[in-house]
This record gives sequence, C-alpha cells and structure tokens, in this order.
Amino acid sequence: MRILLDKFCKSFGTTSVIEDMQLEVGSGEMLALLGPSGCGKSTTLFAICGIHRPTSGRILFGDRDVTNLPSQARNVGVVFQSYALYPHMTVEENIGFPLKVKRLATANIKQQVAEIAKLVQIDNLLGRRPGQLSGGQQQRVALARALIRRPDVLLLDEPLANLDAKLRLEMRSEIRRLQRETGITAILVTHDQVEAMSMCDRIAIMNKGEIVQIASPSDMYNDPRTAFVAGFLGNPPISFLKGRAEQGAFVLRDGGLKLPLPALSGIADGTELTLGVRPEHFGVAGGIPVEGRVTFAETQGRENLYDVVLPDGSVLRSIQPVRDDVKPGAQVRWMLDSSSTFVFAEDGRRL
Amino acid sequence: MKTSRMLGLVMIAPAAIIILLFFLMPVILTAVFAMTNMSTATGISAGAYQVTQAAVNRLKTDMPELAAGISEPRFVIDEDGLTQLDALKLKPGFTAELRASHLGEVFLSRREAERMIKSLKERPSTREVKQISDVFNRSVMNTRFEDRAALMESLAKLGFKLSPQDEEKVSRATYTGWIWTADNFRTIANSQDMGQILLNTGFYVAVTLLLFNVGYALLLAVTTHYMPASTASVFRAIWLLPRITPVVIYVLMWKWLTWDNGFISLFMGLFGHPPKNYLLDSAGSAWFFVILINGFIGASMGMLVFSSAIKAIPQTHFYASEVDGANRWQQIRYIILPQLRWPILFVTCYQTLSLLASFNEILLSTRGGPGRSTEVWSLAAYHTALQNYTGNLEYGLGAAMALVLVVVGVILSLIYLRVFRYDTLVTKPLIED
Ligand SMILES: Nc1ncnc2c1ncn2[C@@H]1O[C@H](COP(=O)(O)OP(=O)(O)OP(=O)(O)O)[C@@H](O)[C@H]1O
Ligand SMILES: [Mg+2]
Repeated sequence: MRILLDKFCKSFGTTSVIEDMQLEVGSGEMLALLGPSGCGKSTTLFAICGIHRPTSGRILFGDRDVTNLPSQARNVGVVFQSYALYPHMTVEENIGFPLKVKRLATANIKQQVAEIAKLVQIDNLLGRRPGQLSGGQQQRVALARALIRRPDVLLLDEPLANLDAKLRLEMRSEIRRLQRETGITAILVTHDQVEAMSMCDRIAIMNKGEIVQIASPSDMYNDPRTAFVAGFLGNPPISFLKGRAEQGAFVLRDGGLKLPLPALSGIADGTELTLGVRPEHFGVAGGIPVEGRVTFAETQGRENLYDVVLPDGSVLRSIQPVRDDVKPGAQVRWMLDSSSTFVFAEDGRRL
Repeated sequence: MKTSRMLGLVMIAPAAIIILLFFLMPVILTAVFAMTNMSTATGISAGAYQVTQAAVNRLKTDMPELAAGISEPRFVIDEDGLTQLDALKLKPGFTAELRASHLGEVFLSRREAERMIKSLKERPSTREVKQISDVFNRSVMNTRFEDRAALMESLAKLGFKLSPQDEEKVSRATYTGWIWTADNFRTIANSQDMGQILLNTGFYVAVTLLLFNVGYALLLAVTTHYMPASTASVFRAIWLLPRITPVVIYVLMWKWLTWDNGFISLFMGLFGHPPKNYLLDSAGSAWFFVILINGFIGASMGMLVFSSAIKAIPQTHFYASEVDGANRWQQIRYIILPQLRWPILFVTCYQTLSLLASFNEILLSTRGGPGRSTEVWSLAAYHTALQNYTGNLEYGLGAAMALVLVVVGVILSLIYLRVFRYDTLVTKPLIED
C-alpha cells in the first residue's frame, strides 16, 4: 500500500518539528529514514501510524485519506524505539495482544504467536515477562508483535539497534524477506547506514525536519546532493577539505594542492569550496599525488584505515587493502582519484 | 555478612523502639483492658469489698439463703454494743446481765433480740428495749471493707458460716474493683445487638469501599486520564475538597442539606412534600447519606493514588496499544487496570482499615441513628467505652470490641494480600546479599 505524506507539518506547541514534508513510499517498497538524532524521524512515524495528528497536510494510504483516522483503524504495525512492551504481560501475551483485541479465538492466537515467535527465534521465551529479557530479545518480541496481525504498513523505529552483529545480519534479511513476501510497505528508521543501504529500496535522508534527499542507496552514495548527505552516508565517513576555486580547479587553502575539476568551470575565482573525498578514493590508485603524515592507523580485518594529515592541517581518510608497511608517523605520498570527488559550495550544495 | 546484619539491627533499633512504643503498645494495652471488666463502676484502680444491693442480687441465684440473710440486719451482743449501752446511761443492770449471760449471742431478727431483752431481770420499758436493741443492730449492708479478711471476719461475727468456696463466691460478688475476665468476649459473641452492629459494619465498609473508595476513585482516575490536562486537574481539585475541608464543617454542610429546614426539604417543599429530616428519616436514608459522606471523602485518596499510578505508565504503552488496535475500553481493561493492581490493593487495604476504625463522620452526622441503625462497630466501641447515656462506661467491653476490630483488620489484610497475589506483585530485589 502506497503511503503519501502531502505537505505534512507537525509542531508541538510553538516548536515546529516538521515543515511541509513531501514523501511518497511506493506500495511494497521499503524505505529507510536516515538522519541525525532529533531530526524528526520518530515524529514522522508517529504521524503515519496515527499517534500524532498532523498540524497540517494530508496522509494517504493508497488512495484513502487517513489523516483523521485513529491508529486503531489504520492497520499499521510499529516497532517502537523503546519497544513499549507491556510489562505485566508475558511474551506470549504481548505478541498476541493485537489479535486478542480483535477477539480472535485463544487457540488461534496461540498458534499464530508460536509461528511468529519461531520466526524471530524467541519461541523458548514465551512464558517470560519483558523485565526478564535482554534488550535484543525485547526488540524481537516487539517485532513479532508488530508483524503478527499482518499490517498493511510496517514502521520500524531502529528495530535492530540492540542486536549482536550475527543476529542483526539474520534479522535484517529476515525482515527484508518477510516484507518482500507479504508486500508490506515499510519504513525503517535507523542510524546505521549499512542497514539502510542493505535492507531498503530507497533511502530518505532527513535533517532538521526536512527530507534532504531521497534516492536509491547507490545513487545516494555516488551522487549526494549536499555535503550533509555525503557526510551522512559512508563508513568510514567521507573527509572534507576546505579551499577555493582558481581557474576551474580546487585549490587547498594553503595552495598546497590543486585539483582541476570539470564541475568548477564557470565558478568565479576565489569562491569558497569544500571538497569531499571518500576514503576509498585516496590510496594507491588515482591521478593526483598528495603528501602527508599518517597520524592514525587501524586495521579492520580485511582493510586498513589511515588518517593522513596534510601540511595545512586538514585530514584525509584512506582505506586500503591490508598492508603492514605504514605506521603512524610515516610520511606518505598517496594518490587521489580526482574524478570521484565531490565539490560543494559554501552552503553545502553540490556543484 | 554477619557484621552487616548487626549493623542493620543497630540502625533499625530506634525505629523499632518507636514502633514498639507508639504502635504496638496501644494494641497490647487494648488487649490487656479487654481481659478486664473495668467500667465507671469499678474504676481503674483496685477496689474494696462492699455488700451492695447489686452484690446481694448477684448472690441470690447461687446462695439464696445467704443473700436473704445478708440483706437483713442481725443483732449481735458484743463488747462494742455493751460499751455503747453504758454510754446511754440506762440501768447498769442491763449491761451486767447481758455481758454475763448473753455475750456472743446472735439473733436473726429484731423480734428475737427484743424478746430476749424484754426478759432481762430489770424489766426494761418498751422504749428502753428499743434503745438497747438498736445498739446491737449489726449489718454488713453498704459497709466498705478494705480487704477480704475484714469482710469475712464481720460475716463470721454475724454468724454466717461459710465454706472456702462460699467465701470465694461472696468475695467475688461483693468486690467493687475490676477483675480479670474473658466475659467481654462472651458478651460480644452472644449479644444480638453486637451481631446487628457487625452486619451494619460489614455493609457500611463493603458498600463505601466498593462504590466510592475504590470504584468511584478508579472511575475518576481513568476518566481524568483521558481528559485534557487542565480540565483533569480542575476536576481532581474539586474532588479533593471534601478531603481538605475540616470534617466537622463538611458534615455540618450535609446537615444543612438534609435538615428539616435544609435545602432538600425546601426543594421538596416546592412539590408539596412536608419538610422532614432526611438524614434521620429512616434507616435507609441515614445509610444513604452516611455512605455518601464517607465515600466523597474517601474517593479522593484513591483517585490521587490511581491517577499517579496511571501517570507512571509510559506514554508509549498507550501508543502501542492504540496501534495494536485496542479501543478505549480494551486499553483500560488490558493496559491500565492490570498495572493498577498494586495501587488497588493498597487503597483497598488502607481504606478498609480506615473505614473500620473511623466513625467520626457517622458520629457527627447520625450518631448511629435513627435508633441504632447506623451504629457501626467502632462507634459502638466508642459508645460503650467512652460516651453513653446510661453513664456507666464499660472500658473493658469497649477495649474488647476494639480488639475484635484489630483482629478483623489483620485478617482482612491477609486475605487481600492473598487475593491480589502479593508475591507476584513484588519483584525480587536485584541486589543479593
Ligand atoms: N511531545 C513532544 N513535545 C515537544 N517536542 C517534541 C515532542 N516529541 C518530539 N519533540 C521534539 O521533536 C524533535 C524530533 O523528535 P523525534 O523524536 O522525531 O526525533 P528522532 O529523529 O526520532 O530522534 P532519535 O534518532 O534520537 O530518536 C526533537 O527535537 C524533539 O525534542
Ligand atoms: Mg526517534
């Protein structure tokens, strides 16, 4: 079922949290909502599931206007950021609650609960209360409760944050498989861009209550619209160099580095610029040599991560296949792939 | 571990002493008083022995002859009497002859004694016979003896021959002080009045508790929870008024409402009903107002406790339940009420005890009337022990009634803990010792 937020605004009293948001999630699509803490992700989810009424604007499920429909009438499954499990109920009762309020037969509920519990691997915990579960177990109970009544729309507010790496990987593909099979439209709020990129069809990046860019993961990564988006996606993150334009080239502030860039044709000399260089584009391959001193080296198993300080004090990150010839303090001369860099104007706009 | 236990004991000692002094002692003293027959008549210090008409009446069933004899005067020729006779300055021969041949004789009636006096050698005149017999007139009636031996001695002098068992009975019947006895409990168990009062109490506590202190309080807490915050606080403040108004004034306002020339009478007068005292008109209307008065005061506490308990439920539980499809009623039924189990237990327990023990509202409004129809146990105990029309305050019986109240309260609390499954309400402490 398609979800459309049309000129959606939300304010609490006088503080305006979201202004004029326009967002469409296609039927059966899974969208990641990415953004820094406090940017309004949970608020958006709360409006979609009917807990908060929009201050203005419309919310459509399919073609149905649900703006003024109460939560109960929307058939939305939500995994809350804080799980919101009912402390006085057992795991089984928690998961079965959406069916219980629909007055389904007890035996039926029991059977469905058993199935879904098996799916999220908590079938051995059904008799416990939330207080007796670990964070990850609680999260899976919340997930099971959201899924059990086969919602049209599934909203996940950081559902995997508390799981261990292995379980997180499993749950990721499990949620994705479920979502694909049932054709649920889903929105996933996350801070983890790997999660966003691996699970979702599209990513929407939010900042301060507005959506900055919405695109497929690879588009988002390779073609960020602003410095904020470029900085938000990628791990290890992109590094930024400050400089200015000079005859169609980017020049570092102390003049120590000069990169001719096609994007800069027509930009007046002296314009303040920011250059974004992803760590994988600074290393052994590339066209432009850059000298600097390694201040930090870390191995991540298959790859090594280095921080290189340039003579003007700015830092470039580099990620390279494992090698053990470079130690912190070493002077290096590595290559920069100028065709893969991004230039941003002073206001963060990509040029 | 051991030292920490010791330290714990030491630290709790002051509190323990206070508890002992101010919490346990009253109960213990009540229990002690309950085992006596103290009353206004006996006083609370040790008593004396006195053959009162009441004592004679008590003896009548067991020892009718003794009772009859003791209540009539007897005539004993003793040295005391002879000395008095000398002082009357009649003929000296009387004294001499009486001492010589009649000393120690006991006559059961005036007639017998006077027959003997008349036959004295010096022939006393009728007036003298009367005078002489008067000085030998001996009775224990209404004489106060400081101890048992003095009483028995007097009785022996009067010619009463008592076996040790009889002596025991007589001394018990004539003792004016208090004694140890379990009679109070027998009285309570056998008296029909007490049964009625017990029923009254059960009715009063159950109805007030169910309808108001818990039921209405819950209703208020839940409805105010769903109201906008400002409306809710106004509402709560209104319901707090009865609690914070001094009870005397509060009850007085109810009286104004219900008196013959009160508001209700005036209002009903508009429809041609003659004015009447609605408070004391009938047992039914008296109960109606007694329960309203107490209920309105009691509901506010439950309301506060329940409201704050509902506030403590995280907002996301309500969100989640709405998203899960629960309507208002299901939300109340499955989310709010289960999480209020502990506050409900607390309020039920607390209010049961306070309803059982408090009678001031009833005392101020109906005084247990009309008749004794709104007399509850604690009020009856108060009337028995501290304030009644006959003037004989039965401290012992009152204390026994209070003790029954304590026992009933403890038993009810234990039952509540069972019913609400207290053990499942308390989570095990996370810190182990
Ligand atoms: N009930 C409320 N009243 C007032 N302000 C609120 C309320 N709820 C949220 N806010 C504000 O709205 C903003 C967005 O909050 P929201 O919970 O949507 O953030 P978020 O993106 O989910 O952040 P996080 O990643 O930390 O969960 C925050 O600045 C928050 O302080
Ligand atoms: Mg949030």
